[in-house]
Amino acid sequence: MEIKKSTSWYSHSLRLLKNEIRRGELTIIFLAIVLAVATVFSLAGFTEQIKQAIVTSSTNTIAADRVLRLNSPASTEILSKSKEEKLRVARKIETESMAFAGDNMLLAEINAISSEYPLRGELRIKTSEDQQDTILVNGPPEGSVWVEASVLSRMQVDIGDTIEIGVLPLTIGGIVTDIPDRSYRAFIAGPSIFLNIDDMEKTELIQPGSRLEYKYLFAGEQDNIESFEKWLTPQLNDTQRWYDAKAAQNRLSRVLDSAEKFLSLASMLGIVLAAVAVAVASRRYGQRHQATVAVFKALGATINHISKVYIMHWGLLSVISITVGLLLGYGLILLGQEAVKNFIELDNTTLTLMPFITAIATGLICAIAFAIHPLSELMKTSPLLVIRGMSQLTKNKMSLHHAIPLVALFVLLFMFSQDLKMSASLLFGGLLVSLVLLGFGKLLMTASRSAGTKAGKALHLALANLKRRANENSVQLVSFTIAIQLLLLITVMKTSIIEEWQEQFPEGTPNHYLMNITEQQVQPLSDYVEQEGIANQGFYPVYRGRLAAINDEKTVSKRNRNTGNDNELATEKSDSEEEGRRGMGRELGLTWFNEVQPNNEVIEGTWWESNDQMPQVSVESNVAERLDIKLGDELTFTLATNTLKVPVTSIRKVNWQSRQLNFIMVFNKAALEQIETTSISAWMVPEDKKNEVYKFLSEFPTISIMDFGAIMKQLNKMIEQVSVAIELILVLVILAGSLVLVAQVQASMEERERELAILRTLGAKGSLLRNSVLFEFVALGAIAGLMASVAMEIAVYLLQTQVFQMDPSFHFDAWVIGIGAGASFVGVMGMLSCWRLLSLSSVTLIRRTM
Amino acid sequence: MQSAPEIILKVNALTKSVLLEEKTLELLQPIELSVNAGESLAIVGSSGSGKTTLLSILAGLDVPTKGQVYLKNYPLHQLNEEQRSQVRAEHVGFIFQQFLLVNSLTALENVMLPAELANLPDAKAKGLDLLKQVGLAQRADHYPSQLSGGEQQRVAIARAFITRPDILFADEPTGNLDSKTGKHIEDLLFELNEKLGTTLVLVTHDSKLAGRCKRQVEMDSGVLTEKLSVKSNEEDVSNSQTQSSIA
Repeated sequence: MEIKKSTSWYSHSLRLLKNEIRRGELTIIFLAIVLAVATVFSLAGFTEQIKQAIVTSSTNTIAADRVLRLNSPASTEILSKSKEEKLRVARKIETESMAFAGDNMLLAEINAISSEYPLRGELRIKTSEDQQDTILVNGPPEGSVWVEASVLSRMQVDIGDTIEIGVLPLTIGGIVTDIPDRSYRAFIAGPSIFLNIDDMEKTELIQPGSRLEYKYLFAGEQDNIESFEKWLTPQLNDTQRWYDAKAAQNRLSRVLDSAEKFLSLASMLGIVLAAVAVAVASRRYGQRHQATVAVFKALGATINHISKVYIMHWGLLSVISITVGLLLGYGLILLGQEAVKNFIELDNTTLTLMPFITAIATGLICAIAFAIHPLSELMKTSPLLVIRGMSQLTKNKMSLHHAIPLVALFVLLFMFSQDLKMSASLLFGGLLVSLVLLGFGKLLMTASRSAGTKAGKALHLALANLKRRANENSVQLVSFTIAIQLLLLITVMKTSIIEEWQEQFPEGTPNHYLMNITEQQVQPLSDYVEQEGIANQGFYPVYRGRLAAINDEKTVSKRNRNTGNDNELATEKSDSEEEGRRGMGRELGLTWFNEVQPNNEVIEGTWWESNDQMPQVSVESNVAERLDIKLGDELTFTLATNTLKVPVTSIRKVNWQSRQLNFIMVFNKAALEQIETTSISAWMVPEDKKNEVYKFLSEFPTISIMDFGAIMKQLNKMIEQVSVAIELILVLVILAGSLVLVAQVQASMEERERELAILRTLGAKGSLLRNSVLFEFVALGAIAGLMASVAMEIAVYLLQTQVFQMDPSFHFDAWVIGIGAGASFVGVMGMLSCWRLLSLSSVTLIRRTM
Repeated sequence: MQSAPEIILKVNALTKSVLLEEKTLELLQPIELSVNAGESLAIVGSSGSGKTTLLSILAGLDVPTKGQVYLKNYPLHQLNEEQRSQVRAEHVGFIFQQFLLVNSLTALENVMLPAELANLPDAKAKGLDLLKQVGLAQRADHYPSQLSGGEQQRVAIARAFITRPDILFADEPTGNLDSKTGKHIEDLLFELNEKLGTTLVLVTHDSKLAGRCKRQVEMDSGVLTEKLSVKSNEEDVSNSQTQSSIA
């Protein structure tokens, strides 16, 4: 028998689509896809732009894309190669030198810059002290200098006055307010003074043996930079360094790293939520259409016909949803840009094609992978249903249980994050959690049923409903739980990341370092800070010394030429193949304490008694591990003319993130007290006391002061920017989570309608029904909130310890929020969705369900 | 001499059994039945007697376990689902107890559906005409949820007749309606049936409705028996215990 093809499939498909859209039947599935696409598009696009902006602003901290630091001028070969690669170049010579103004002198950081400086970021000055607006500049003209504000007060000079650098008198032309490559080193000499690089020669500071750093700043297209880097780095020797913004600053790059990881994690969670919403909605879609398919089949429609109807129906729905999603996503990007424009400069960022492609792929993957199972089940619907009754509709299991959506989800996550480990752990972790939750949820609902038998009528009915639908509710519960968990997770992680950043700069964080304090000066200075109530970290004697031998074995080392790490913890190449034992290879700042410092923790051995006469040393744990130093090892140090041999009696873990004077090697008093030295201190000087403090310190001209406040301001600004970005993305994730909840409630609507009709018919009062529905949703939400809190705590622990390298913490308040928000949100959503049903008259209800 | 009427539906030794917990449950005992074109046949019986199972096999919605079913000479028992769909599209009309209109389609679109599936021309005009005949011309653009039960069933009747089916299967067509509306639907059904000369097979437990059919058979525990001396008067109806074997 030949099967004739019906040609009416497209009109059937269009008719179904048009009518269902008009009647709002496709709203949830439409919104789910729209939100998935919009979330991915806006998150990917916005995150990309924010990342670009953060990278650009972090690039600002080196005023270029890359810096080459040398101790002599660069060869012409290097410069001509850079020209070949179309890179922009700026030159800078840095040195420490005294500046003189009459009788006043000051150790300053001298920056001789070429007119191209800066290549990234902004150098800003003001030309009078009261001027509000700052001026964007490149470099000072010949004969003129720009100085930091503290130079004026400390040298008692003004704009227009002359100061001498080396032998060259220069006129102060402006006060520097923003320095794009402010140094983060702990031991820089003093305030910065900028002069024209052509004046540098005339200062006669360039002498054989003088400590000069020649910096060559490069900026250009990423490809060109990389190709130049490839050519350059093999030629560099141990004293020459090539670095980028990340390498330049550990602290800053940590902020960047965790921001990047967080944004990416938040976006991935958003995708998972949106995908769950699509899965839930398409499952409901499949169920809802079974009756239609059964009628179509009974009336003689072939599978071919029905497949075409639904493929077109679904295809059109997807195309419309994806298009709307893209538009909405773009709107969100614009909105986001508007929201952060005061915090983050997005002018130099561009939206690439990648977020666009990722978003479309997300829409397609969601629409196809999550719908293929419900749709193929739908095609299999038996026409017998028209006779047997629709109550025999088969209920598909949650689509997430099937392999295709899982694979699809994995592809999505990977496509978005490009991180195999993160994608896999998110997926399989999530899967495992879901299975555990499924079982646990059933248990809880059974337990609440028996509790309910002792409760009031409405509660009793609600809990009986929960129990009776335990299977479906478990699936719902898992979705609620995952949605709540992800929201909690994002909130907690956001809070703890921002807190950790901010903890680095708590109130009273020192903003000034004082160096070269002689023993005689310690007393008047400590009297002064006490009298003025200036927060400080005490005075530490500092010695410059080298680690010469470990257990009499001479140390050697090789500097890692490619890291820009200027921290006390310079990274070493692990493959030190030279003769001898691995050492630090440079001078260290050494000190002695009686007590263990805050932010230091003895993890091996014991701390000494303050009156212990045997010389001893305590070693920082990372260094001890790298240099293979054990308790009891004998370390030999050379300090100027002295040689010191001391046993290691403790190993300390140091929180280097704390803005505190930290030391790798700490001795006891007995080891160092005989050797003469100067001390350092760190003070928190309030802005309004700055001038007064500087005036007082000018009585001690030999003391070097370093103002760290400006750097902190820059870091704080960046933290603020990143926090805003995170909050914005959180809003989107919450939207995605809410949609999952709504989709879930909607999915159970038909059955609820039927039940309400029956209960109404049996004479249940409206208030009883309302309360029972409310209790049911509230109980469901509370259980989900509880389980979400447990799951969140586990996930946060793993994330904090494994991904973000933070100290794990417990979040009781999040539990309260989780359970409370779960109960109220699910309760309110449920009531809102059922309200229409609950207010229908019995007759209408019964007719609707027949 | 009048030519013998065309046999539109013929059933030979039809059985249906299902496997329930490793035990075979016989839903239909061997059944013989034949229905002439233009005839109206009521299958009566109590709930669970197997009448709906029989209807679904006769209409090609389900297949028998054993035996043959010929509808317009198509061997339904040998056809696959797709082929049976086509037979339904071209020759069969349905009216269900639960109306079963497609919720997402308007009244008119529901009526047009079978005509479109069978690729018949002028589906819209025919649909409108039928809606007019069932008195619902004003409600053509309304969705099923906007119609009362009686109105929905009238739409279903219009839908059933639009393809001018050779045979119409009705499953408790008034079962979900109040008696007044039910009566109205009955009238409409028989009126159209008469007018269009359609063969009607209806399943009901309503003896009054069954009485309006020219012929009645009764199902009892899977056994089909012919009710003899069929009249519209219930009192005259007496059961025959002989197994039906009408050729």
